[in-house]
Amino acid sequence: MKKIVLSMLLASLGLVAAEGTVPYKSGLLLKPQADKIYEKECTHCHGKDGKATSFAGSSRVSYAVIAGMDTAAVAKELKEYRGGEKSNDYRLHNKYGYGSIMRSATKDLSWEEIDAVAKYVNGLK
Amino acid sequence: MDNKYIDKMFSEMDKDLAKRGMSRRDAMKLAGISGAGMFMGGVTSASADDANTTVKSNAKGKIVIVGGGLAGMSTAARLTLNLSNPDITVIEPQELSVSYQPGQTLVGGGIWDEDDIAYKRDDFVPDGVKVVKEKAILFNPQENKLTTDKGTVISYDYLILATGLHLDFERIKGLEEAGRAMSAGDNEKLLKALGDDGICSIYTAKGSTKTWEQMQKFIAKAKSASPDKKIQFVFTHPSTPVKCGGAPKKIMYLTNARLKEADARENAELTFYPNGGAMFGVPEYHDAILGQFKRENFKWHYRHNLIEVDKEKKIAVFDAKWQEKGPWDPVLKDYEVIPKHEKVRVPYDFLHITPPQLAPREIAESDLGSAKGWVPVNKETLQHIRYENVFSLGDVAQVPMGKTGGSVRKQYKVLVDNLIALMNGKKLEAKYAGYTVCPLITDIGTVMLAEFDWTVKPTPLLPLDPTVERWMWWLMKVHALKPMTMYGMLSGRA
Repeated sequence: MKKIVLSMLLASLGLVAAEGTVPYKSGLLLKPQADKIYEKECTHCHGKDGKATSFAGSSRVSYAVIAGMDTAAVAKELKEYRGGEKSNDYRLHNKYGYGSIMRSATKDLSWEEIDAVAKYVNGLK
Repeated sequence: MDNKYIDKMFSEMDKDLAKRGMSRRDAMKLAGISGAGMFMGGVTSASADDANTTVKSNAKGKIVIVGGGLAGMSTAARLTLNLSNPDITVIEPQELSVSYQPGQTLVGGGIWDEDDIAYKRDDFVPDGVKVVKEKAILFNPQENKLTTDKGTVISYDYLILATGLHLDFERIKGLEEAGRAMSAGDNEKLLKALGDDGICSIYTAKGSTKTWEQMQKFIAKAKSASPDKKIQFVFTHPSTPVKCGGAPKKIMYLTNARLKEADARENAELTFYPNGGAMFGVPEYHDAILGQFKRENFKWHYRHNLIEVDKEKKIAVFDAKWQEKGPWDPVLKDYEVIPKHEKVRVPYDFLHITPPQLAPREIAESDLGSAKGWVPVNKETLQHIRYENVFSLGDVAQVPMGKTGGSVRKQYKVLVDNLIALMNGKKLEAKYAGYTVCPLITDIGTVMLAEFDWTVKPTPLLPLDPTVERWMWWLMKVHALKPMTMYGMLSGRA
């Protein structure tokens, strides 16, 4: 099982690609690479451009465009998804019912990495 | 081992002795030891059995060591002494990787400076060993390859994992900003997150300097406080395995010593909150430490794990655990035991955090890590349980009670013997028995030398009561262990 997970992980990160590409993974004390984190954790739902509002082929789920959102607001939101709401005794931040899925996307990110991703989202046009 | 370092060590020691109006000879006599044999015993006997007398092996193979700290570099050095054609590569991005971590308690207690423990990786690379100044982040043990953060692919015949561990400050709510850290490095982000109001940790090199600053600040506050409104000094010990299980208490003893020195002890309260239910895993040492805690008027609360820090309100939040007698179970014919826990909020002035510690994520999530993250090795041979050409030692190895420099000192010799045996197609015969040592500083000037192994019995080197605090061990801790490590172990000899 571990091997399957690992190979999926490698594949999803594009790490088994040609030599010479620089691999990246969050949570390894490396300098944050927001584009790579965004691609791995966010693109699936929010799209490369941050403008997707539903999964392809499913009109039942919908959410807001995130491209260009305020950096501080995104960072605050993501940190609450990751670690819970401080003002609420660190309970799960569950905006619009997306708490669990957003937690799984953010749980391996350091705050430094979240700050970098927030900036990246702000820069999406 | 270079004589000049031994000379330097003795001259430093003589200065310490002179302060007490004593010569080295008198001190040794007092300790019941003749000559320098006790300090240098390990070094001199070990240096006799290799380099000069050992026949070097002709075994061939490319050896890659991930991590150039004390464990990795000592192993590299010993391999070069024992192989006639060594092909060794060490992968280590951190310039100060071999810094002397056991000294961080002494820095935190204001006895040493940070300069005393900072050592450069490049000064300790054995001749002929290649260093790759990158970070290994992807492991492919099926194909004997790994990839670094710069995209370099490195293949190997034999792999040694000595990456060390990560300090997981970000797991503590309220300190997420600190992120994870390793002991060496500037750790700016971490220090900024801990702030300047009493929170500190000797678990990083920079943090130990800051601990001394904070300690002085709050000792000054204690001086002007009063016995009815004591300054609260709080010390923690997490629920994960930690490097040097004694350090969380050593820094408490040193704080106590500095408070007494400043004549401010009665205006301070020192409380220890360990996650476990005892002071030490070895009953004899547990009893001794408990006695010391009572003598020094410390307080303690077992089964408290630090989970949150409110920096503004200066409150540490612990998860406290206990068990209660439950209802009668007619099948078991006994009462059920119900585990309970609740959050306990503790106001602090000075808070020393021993952070939760875990295997680096690149190891934990690779095929080389176990479910708990650490590298699963046969605890005696140090060989990986799934990949026979992979070995591990030091903090990252899944070896019980093994996360100290004293354990590494035994492990690296076992590992080298076994690796060379494997390269020669022989049986792995060298066995690590779990020896570790904790020079538990109980005051400025006294140390209890807790030596033990997997028998969980004291295993003292000398025929002296191991539970007694001695000035002799203080001398060893402060003067002898560093040169023994930096110039003995790192040359592969001691």
